[in-house]
Amino acid sequence: MKMKVKKVILKNESGIHARPASEIVKIASKYQSTINLIANGKQINAKSILNIMSAGIKSSSEIEIQCDGIDEEMAIQELETAFNNNFGEQ
Amino acid sequence: MKITDLLNKNAIQLNGSFKNKEEAIDRLIELMTSNGNISDKEKYRQVVLKREEEGTTGIGEGIAIPHGKTNAVTKPGLSAIIVPNGVEFNSLDGKPAKILFLIAAPDSKDNVHLDVLSRLSTLLMDTEFKNTLLDAKTPEEFLMCIDRAEKEKLDENKNTNDSYEILAITACPTGIAHTYMAAEALEKKGEQLGHKVKVETHGSSGVKNKFTKEEIEKAKAIIIAADTKIDLSRFDGKKLVKARVADGINKPQELIKNALSNNAPIYHSENKQENNSEEKEGIGRSIYKHLMNGVTHMLPFVVGGGILIAIAFLLDDYSINPSNFGMNTPIAAFFKTIGGAAFNVMLYILAGYIAMSIADRPGLAVGFVGGILAVQGTTFASLTDSTITLVSSGFLGALIAGFVGGYIVILLKKICSYLPDSIEGIKTILLYPVFGILLIGIFMLLINPYVAGINTAINNYLSSMGTANKVLLGAILGGMMAVDLGGPINKAAYTFGTGMLASGQYEIMAAVMAGGMVPPLAIAVLATIFPKKIEKKDKQAAYVNYIMGLSFISEGAIPFASSDPLRTIPAFVIGSAVTGALSMVFNCTLMAPHGGIFVIATIGNPLMYLLAILIGTIVSALIMAKLKKNLPEYESQTA
Repeated sequence: MKMKVKKVILKNESGIHARPASEIVKIASKYQSTINLIANGKQINAKSILNIMSAGIKSSSEIEIQCDGIDEEMAIQELETAFNNNFGEQ
Repeated sequence: MKITDLLNKNAIQLNGSFKNKEEAIDRLIELMTSNGNISDKEKYRQVVLKREEEGTTGIGEGIAIPHGKTNAVTKPGLSAIIVPNGVEFNSLDGKPAKILFLIAAPDSKDNVHLDVLSRLSTLLMDTEFKNTLLDAKTPEEFLMCIDRAEKEKLDENKNTNDSYEILAITACPTGIAHTYMAAEALEKKGEQLGHKVKVETHGSSGVKNKFTKEEIEKAKAIIIAADTKIDLSRFDGKKLVKARVADGINKPQELIKNALSNNAPIYHSENKQENNSEEKEGIGRSIYKHLMNGVTHMLPFVVGGGILIAIAFLLDDYSINPSNFGMNTPIAAFFKTIGGAAFNVMLYILAGYIAMSIADRPGLAVGFVGGILAVQGTTFASLTDSTITLVSSGFLGALIAGFVGGYIVILLKKICSYLPDSIEGIKTILLYPVFGILLIGIFMLLINPYVAGINTAINNYLSSMGTANKVLLGAILGGMMAVDLGGPINKAAYTFGTGMLASGQYEIMAAVMAGGMVPPLAIAVLATIFPKKIEKKDKQAAYVNYIMGLSFISEGAIPFASSDPLRTIPAFVIGSAVTGALSMVFNCTLMAPHGGIFVIATIGNPLMYLLAILIGTIVSALIMAKLKKNLPEYESQTA
């Protein structure tokens, strides 16, 4: 099975709370690819905000982004950028 | 941090009605102060509103979770409002919010509000939970719902201490000694190393110490120390180390180390099957499973034997000696003899594997012998009186032999469990076979006279059945094939058809197979003639159903049935019933229980058989065309 996989470290202090979660959903929903985040040993559907928030991902967690589909390349890049920019936070 | 610790009943309002978001938030803050955790209400309000400006907290699906983290909050708290008619919240999905939770978090580093958010989200993902909140009559009830859900969903971590870190399976071909030696070695070594190990033994007395689904879920790694084939599908996605059973005995430490290391390979099974644990299965489900185990193993014999016998009839010359039809020419006799050899054992196999499904390996011999006695029709009276003509108990007798044989062994296992473990080897190699076969023998000799009578009566009835009844039977069996497309009802009709082959009733199998071919064919025809009734993305799958149908794979129609059961299933049933009835009218016969169009040469009256299938298919497709609406995607877009 081929898919794009990238690992990122969550840097923003407050973890993935509601606002970053909705950012992720906004980005992920633009793409047709299946997009999952793997964090704390859980697989999270990046297109479901409840799913993301329920994982309660804390600062400095390691997160694996998995994109699978025709636009996987673009999807993974935009998500990676968003993570690296700390979703515009500290 | 539990939600119920943060939310008191005075901070809950059930019948909120607000003009806008600001009004709703003000009320939430009002409720929050009843928790006594807000030192500066206005400051907290500013923070919450500022957070809303950055982006809405209306996360969609009728839920909004506004929040504020500030030093105006002395300790974490929650307030909640249900708005039955909803309030506009600029939600992500544009829908009004009906469930509002406000979170207050002190400005500390410990991320309380992330924890609370995570717990709330986990609960709210469950639609049923959401509905119970919306239906709550009193704040107390509201709190109780949350409390119950929290206990169910979020407290599972408490049990982790009792779960096993490593699960291991041991098995060896004879299943008497090595299996248990390896199990002991792994358990002991695990204990020494401080890892809790549970071992499931696949010995000759069957599987012992079976893992539950939960145990598998919680285990960190799986060790397979076995020299026989083990079904691994239930370990999908787990770290799994495979080794020989000897390694389990000699190098348990190495195995445990490898399994827990990060380099241990993760097992992925190709076909993930639902392997529900035995104890949770209903009686009907387990009878079905045992029966199917018998049928599955019997099928190759029936297919191979049936087709070879049919070829014999095809090649033979009826005129030489009608009473010896099938054996008149050397080439026909050749096929008939080989086919007959396979056909003759089919009922033994059925009985043996039903018993094996019930009682594992020790059941096989007992069921098998029971099956032979059923087919021979031996009775106590016939033992000493050679003038008595034996009457076979046939299919019915073999079914009884299989089930009774299996449960006899289960009973023996229960009785033998009181004996010391040191004679474990003796049990399976001596006690179960001797007493099992003895008991099934007594039982079969006792019931054979009666079952044989019933079996003969059924056969006579079927052979002498008038056209009207035959048509009715054909319609019922054909219809049953289409009701659940490969499920229990379908298999019941199918098993009956195969069983009747053993009694020389070939028309029933013909009706059954024809009925089973109709649903997928009907879907394919529908897609061809009425393309607007099938979604574009499913078109390809619909055309593939031509092949599915012609190969007698009823299951091909399942995706279409499950997406629109009320309009498809009745159409399938009617079409299949018509075909089954017509097959009977045309006196079609079939000796092979599978194969669809590929065994057409062996079918009696093949052209009329095809006609019967064609008519049923068209009837079914037309009914669907009438019931199903044209899909909107064809109205609005053309691409």
